[in-house]
Amino acid sequence: MIPRLLAGLSAATLLPAVLLLLPLLHVAPNRLVTGVPVAATDALEAWLWPTVALAAIGLGLLAVGRGKAAAGIAGLACLGALALLLAGLGAGAAELIAGKPLATRARLASGAWIGITVLIGALSLAAQRARLPVGVTSAAAVVGLLTFLWNAGSLDALSLAVELRGRSDTLATAIRDHLVLALGALALAACLTGGLALWRRGRGAVELTVSGLQIVPAVALLGGLVAALSTLLAAAPSLRGYGLSALGSTPALTGVAAFLLLPLWRGQQAARRAACPGHLDAARALGLTRRQILATIRLPLGAPLLVDGMRVAAVQALGLATLGALVGAGGLGTLVFDGMAQFAPDLILLGALPIIVLSLATEAALDGLEAALRRRWPR
Amino acid sequence: MSRISPALAAGLGPFLLGLALAAASHPTIAALVGSGAASRPLPVSRLAELALHHLTLAAAGLAVVSILGVGLGLFATRTRFASFRGSIDTVVAFAQAVPPVVVVALALPVLGFGGPPTLLALLAYGIMPTLRGTVGALDSVSNEARESAQAIGLTPGQILAYVELPLAAKGLVETLRTALILAVSVTAVGALAGASTLGTPIVAGLQNQNIAAMLQGALATAALAFLGDGLLLAIGGWVQGNRQRTAD
Repeated sequence: MIPRLLAGLSAATLLPAVLLLLPLLHVAPNRLVTGVPVAATDALEAWLWPTVALAAIGLGLLAVGRGKAAAGIAGLACLGALALLLAGLGAGAAELIAGKPLATRARLASGAWIGITVLIGALSLAAQRARLPVGVTSAAAVVGLLTFLWNAGSLDALSLAVELRGRSDTLATAIRDHLVLALGALALAACLTGGLALWRRGRGAVELTVSGLQIVPAVALLGGLVAALSTLLAAAPSLRGYGLSALGSTPALTGVAAFLLLPLWRGQQAARRAACPGHLDAARALGLTRRQILATIRLPLGAPLLVDGMRVAAVQALGLATLGALVGAGGLGTLVFDGMAQFAPDLILLGALPIIVLSLATEAALDGLEAALRRRWPR
Repeated sequence: MSRISPALAAGLGPFLLGLALAAASHPTIAALVGSGAASRPLPVSRLAELALHHLTLAAAGLAVVSILGVGLGLFATRTRFASFRGSIDTVVAFAQAVPPVVVVALALPVLGFGGPPTLLALLAYGIMPTLRGTVGALDSVSNEARESAQAIGLTPGQILAYVELPLAAKGLVETLRTALILAVSVTAVGALAGASTLGTPIVAGLQNQNIAAMLQGALATAALAFLGDGLLLAIGGWVQGNRQRTAD
């Protein structure tokens, strides 16, 4: 009993400590400098104690409590704390930049980021304990909360919102380019692995090449591809007529696709081996045709493994597509690299947050698909 | 002699490929390829300096990642901490959703230019796969082996040292290989944050059309990854061979 109480107490004090000890906001004269840190008492003012109390209740209950009811209450407390924290930070930021020059920025600082991350993590844990679908529940709660606060104008004064308003068109284009690049590379790699699977005698060689490619660092492969393509184009300029270019989507698509071959290949080979020879012999003895064997044995056994490989590849594609901006292929990496070049944290975040959200959403969606396939065809 | 060679042969392929790539990054060879107007191949001394920086940074990151990752993995597999096991995969999935470039970029405003953001990215990106790999390797040790060790009266520490670690050695070497490749790769990305590594000529070459230097950087980075991989494979083969000989 006592260890559990101690665990509950330490969990309950975690977030208040973070919120009170670390700066929650940075107020800077413009978007390029870090600015001066603002502590919780000034950033949250009247919102501070309700936020801290709810967070302590939520996290403490999560550590001590057992059962669905306790988890549900803990989850609601965490969601409430998150709402109060965000609304309070928005209000605090509005107050801090009121009357200051237009370029003044109020930026979320380390304490706020840790607080938000911990609360969202606690929310997912509570959803898991309450036997709710984790991804959907926590995503719906957070998205709903953000939409509500955004529409209410509570977040307007935070610098990330200011940056977003200034660049919403660029962001939309970047997200579209990013998705096109990632999906294109995924499709290219999937076609290639599908084709390679037909070459039965070369399986060993393919395995070796594909895992060897994984060893090459991504930046090196992209750089090498650009160098090779520009040499090729210098030697045979007529190739430009076919849409080939040393920079842009050609090297980016090829480079990203090269790294997706291994997860896709592994998934495919695992799916191929999923049906054991005994099953197949039995099916043949029953007189099933090849097509029937594929539909009734190979597909049900292999599909989840195939989707698993696809999931790993898709998440990698979304991450690697960031590097596409390095060779001029656009995408969210453009915002990240522009932000790095300007040393503008908000711009980096504006590019980085969508990448993280897209990756997590893809991971959750394909995980769900895999689980659904396993339910559809239990072994 | 005939006993050593199969062990070392495991790493020979990547090692030779690495040597070939390193040779190809020599200025005289790279100059043949990138013969554009802006192409100025880097001299060997500069390339060696960058490689040394790259190696130092990657080795430092790899050391911290292996100690923390394997250490946490050992903790997580002790029965006392079994309740944490479920959350590992969730955290791994989250950590993998943040690509290393993004970690480097996010660390930039906090830690400034150069090595520190690169090291942070290495840690953030490397620890969780290492932790999961360690857990996976230790999980592959059969319960029968553990129980028989317990039955003959070995202490938990002895079970770990004489039973679990030797049986999990193959998986552990695989985990360290992944960590090494990640370290070399992320260190190259660190060039974007101004760290002076073999990624620097690639990034700079992309900006000022210096094809030869770009190619040199790419070849040398890949060479480093293959050489390290070959080395670890050889070590893994040697450990494996030793075990077999003691078992015989």
